[in-house]
Amino acid sequence: MTHPQVHFTEEELIAYQLHDSTDEKAIRRHLETCTPCAELSESIAETLRVFSAEPVPEANLEHNWWRLRGSLPVLKPAPRRLRWLDWRWITPTAALALTALLVLDITGVRLHPAVPANDVAIKSQGPLTDTPVDPSSVTTHLDTAERLLTEVNHTTGRLDPTTRESAHTLLLHNAVYIQTARQQGNFAQASVLESLGRVLTTLDHEPEATEEGWHIRLSMNTNGLLFDIRILRQNDHRQ
Amino acid sequence: MGITDKEAIKQVLTGDRDAYRILMDRHFQFVFRVAFRITGNQSDAEDVAQEAFLKAYHKLDTFRQDATFTTWINRIAMNIAINLMERRNRDLTHHASGIAEDSNFARDTRQDTRQVPDHKAGPERLLLDRETITIRQAAMSTLTPMERTAFTLRHMEDFGIPQIADALNIPANSAKQAVFRAVAKLRRALAPLAGGLRG
Ligand SMILES: [Zn+2]
Repeated sequence: MTHPQVHFTEEELIAYQLHDSTDEKAIRRHLETCTPCAELSESIAETLRVFSAEPVPEANLEHNWWRLRGSLPVLKPAPRRLRWLDWRWITPTAALALTALLVLDITGVRLHPAVPANDVAIKSQGPLTDTPVDPSSVTTHLDTAERLLTEVNHTTGRLDPTTRESAHTLLLHNAVYIQTARQQGNFAQASVLESLGRVLTTLDHEPEATEEGWHIRLSMNTNGLLFDIRILRQNDHRQ
Repeated sequence: MGITDKEAIKQVLTGDRDAYRILMDRHFQFVFRVAFRITGNQSDAEDVAQEAFLKAYHKLDTFRQDATFTTWINRIAMNIAINLMERRNRDLTHHASGIAEDSNFARDTRQDTRQVPDHKAGPERLLLDRETITIRQAAMSTLTPMERTAFTLRHMEDFGIPQIADALNIPANSAKQAVFRAVAKLRRALAPLAGGLRG
């Protein structure tokens, strides 16, 4: 503003007080010398102070979730999204790929004999590998794992003691199966068992607090693992 | 816990409704907060946030991958909240306890505030606080839902004008004007109390 006698409008001063003005410097300079504008500006500032943020209560998430959850249907994806969103849809393709891989594996096109050079996963499980198991019963192991994961997938609260116990037992045996799979050069199986091991470890150490454990479980993507286990078992039955 | 909003949405869309809780845990309080600013009370804000999350759930397959969930659900919630307030204003069935009628408010402010303290021998301080709250509520009730939304989000939540305009689906200039009108109205509503203020 070049003419000090030209006053700013209320709107301009509101914008100024809300820090939305493009003319901030000019207004500030004007306010230093113009009493009416300074008074109006102060009155606006006072109004804004009176209506400064009153505290917002905390919403009760637990209560709100359960209130909401009752109204949520389980969504069935429309066919056009199935292509990339639903693992059940990609099953045939992936199954073909994985089966091909496993057939190569079984028919002797093995990569290398089992030298667990990169053996961190096994070593980290230390004494758990000492638990004696029958290495040929990997099918049973996978069956049990599948049932457990399905159960876990459908549990929204704390896991019951039986499920936890089952997870613990599976974990004890799992490391041995990993080792056996590697020794046999069955790297596909070893890899799935390693993923299973990670999930089982998480379940075994699940915090006591319901919510926390459940969140960890949600983020574990057990669906993908279940899928892998089913593929492995299919293959196993064919052997 | 590294799952993203988009991954959670995918899980919900493939039939895992409990994955929706991840989104709710992350965004419910914010949605509730904005709804609280618009509606001015907790129970309405909760209803609005609930409805927004329900609506979003049913529209989840239309959620664009390039958007953020929080912006998207916030827009849904703001619309629900404003519609609720507009319906209330139309119906006139909703009379928040003792709050003045819009049109006569500015003239009657002084009287209204004097009616407030039916509560007896509380300390004067408390009385004054209650008065202040009632004055604020009464002044706020002179704003249209749009003005109230634009003002509270700009001033109390520090939303930018473009953000408000976008959420309300109005031009930026309209959002700006709504804020101006709101502040001007509120200032006039307070004028009789403040004494020597220019107005
Ligand atoms: Zn001036």
